[in-house]
Amino acid sequence: MLLIKNLTKKYGKFTALDNLNMEIKKGEIFGFVGPNGAGKTTTMRIVSGLLKTDSGTVNVDGVDAGTNPGELKSKIGYMPDFFGVYDNLKALEYMEFYASIYGITGNKAKQLCLELMDLVQLTDQGDSYVDEMSRGMKQRLCLARSLVHNPRLLVLDEPASGLDPRARLEMKDILKELHNKGKTILISSHILPELAQMCTNIGIIEKGKMVVSGTVEEILSARGTASPIVMKFTAGQDRAVEVLKQNSLVQNITIRDNSISILFKGNETEEADILAAMIQSGAMLSSFTREESSLESLFMQITAGEEQEVSE
Amino acid sequence: MRFNPVYRKELKISIRSIRTAIILLGYNGILALFGLFAFYVTFEYDSRYGGTVDYASILRIYAIITVAEFGLVLFTVPALTAASISGERERQTLEILLTTKLTPLQIILGKLASSISMMIFLAFSSLPILAIVFTIGGVTLRDFAEFMLLIVVTAVFIGSVGIFFSTLFKKTTSATVSTYGVLLVLGLGTLAVLWAIRLIIQIKMKKFSGDVMPYQTPDAGNWILILLINPAVTYFSMMEDQIGTGSRLTSFFGNFGTVSMEIQKYWFFISVFLQLGVSAFLLGISARLLNPLRNRFYRKKKSS
Repeated sequence: MLLIKNLTKKYGKFTALDNLNMEIKKGEIFGFVGPNGAGKTTTMRIVSGLLKTDSGTVNVDGVDAGTNPGELKSKIGYMPDFFGVYDNLKALEYMEFYASIYGITGNKAKQLCLELMDLVQLTDQGDSYVDEMSRGMKQRLCLARSLVHNPRLLVLDEPASGLDPRARLEMKDILKELHNKGKTILISSHILPELAQMCTNIGIIEKGKMVVSGTVEEILSARGTASPIVMKFTAGQDRAVEVLKQNSLVQNITIRDNSISILFKGNETEEADILAAMIQSGAMLSSFTREESSLESLFMQITAGEEQEVSE
Repeated sequence: MRFNPVYRKELKISIRSIRTAIILLGYNGILALFGLFAFYVTFEYDSRYGGTVDYASILRIYAIITVAEFGLVLFTVPALTAASISGERERQTLEILLTTKLTPLQIILGKLASSISMMIFLAFSSLPILAIVFTIGGVTLRDFAEFMLLIVVTAVFIGSVGIFFSTLFKKTTSATVSTYGVLLVLGLGTLAVLWAIRLIIQIKMKKFSGDVMPYQTPDAGNWILILLINPAVTYFSMMEDQIGTGSRLTSFFGNFGTVSMEIQKYWFFISVFLQLGVSAFLLGISARLLNPLRNRFYRKKKSS
């Protein structure tokens, strides 16, 4: 459905995308993950026909974005990470306006818009003015708007940003329903646990390059041994840090008040060795646990050292 | 017939807005004041203090009302158009529009059409005030039609300038200030340029003829033709054609040099076509600027 090859985009001297390659198959929900400035929004804007590439190709359902941007637009439903509204326009009118752009007018448009509003759980909101709706409702309306021309690929940039937990849950349910209806979805989000639950595939992008992609299970099992180890101390934390710094298998040390989190690439025997070394150094350990593999820990591992803004 | 969706949406939004009602009230209120003032001056004042009513000068009412309406058009159109694209940008709705099937030109034309419709709506709403002159006579329906044409052309011309700046600048304030600035340049700047040219020529003539000032009026040559894009001169040429003899237009041009009689005769129509041409050019540029996938007009030199 979406095939990106060697995509490069520069803003002046800053390289936003550096030979990015990715593929989304029909019916997939592809979670696009990366730290701020990694290139997620740039990729989505290029796919949606809002940005020109410097090099590389973007192909959506057989249509090349570079040579046929007009046809591309009929295949894409884009939802940005912000929601602009028109004053004095009701929700149903807002929907009908976008339907009319695609030549759907009159009763046909009204029926379609009501169905879509029903899908996003805004059944009774047709007569509400858009600028008076809550943020969650606006997001859902925006999602319904992006579906009005029955696009092949939905591009959703941070659809759950700024939403409260209930609204996020509603959004997740809607996206699952769209997936069940066979829609292909490219979605970016910082809410990783939800992405892991919802997406069939995940791609982690950093510095404009796709670092890893595949199904959540594939990615986690491939990198499972690198889940962080969390240690808690009652005393001697400084001595433990010295021991850890000397161990070449320890990749990243995060020190908190009375605990340390490390990324450790060794096997179980090496894990036992480092535990013994810390005890010998005089550190008083109260717990030593390898966390269960999660998308979040994988993300932290991959983007270690970079600016991290991951919300729960 | 399928209307431009942006045009339909804009009309729907604007007609509901309280702003439209206020503009309508203000526009017709000011025009009515001018109309009543013209009526008073022509009848009441002349008959009371002059003892007579000069029916030959009754067309003055028409001139005063139309000049007031033309001024209102010049004043209103930038306000209607300068926010058209930048407003979408500020509301964060522009990007969504650009991802739809609509082309940048369709968006631009939809915006312009809605602004012009608003202007036509205002112009038609003022017809009862303009109709004051029909109580006395002297103005034909053709004159009215010509005046309405001028209003539409001026709205398109100034509207295109407004939309151009609205596309160029991110902020509505910058677009509005720039549009009024260009309006000032078109109205007064073109005259200032001609005065400057006239002065330079005059100084040169004085230099060559010694201290004695030459009798001959300095001729700005073809530079006079820049007045073709001055909406005020276009209006003046129309009025001279309708209620004058043309002598005032000749005498006005005489300040800067000579204009051939053919051009002078068709000044209004040449001016209208030229302004429409400039409008088409500006709209084309605006559509290009709005296209997110456009090629740059120029490429920066590669730094070595």
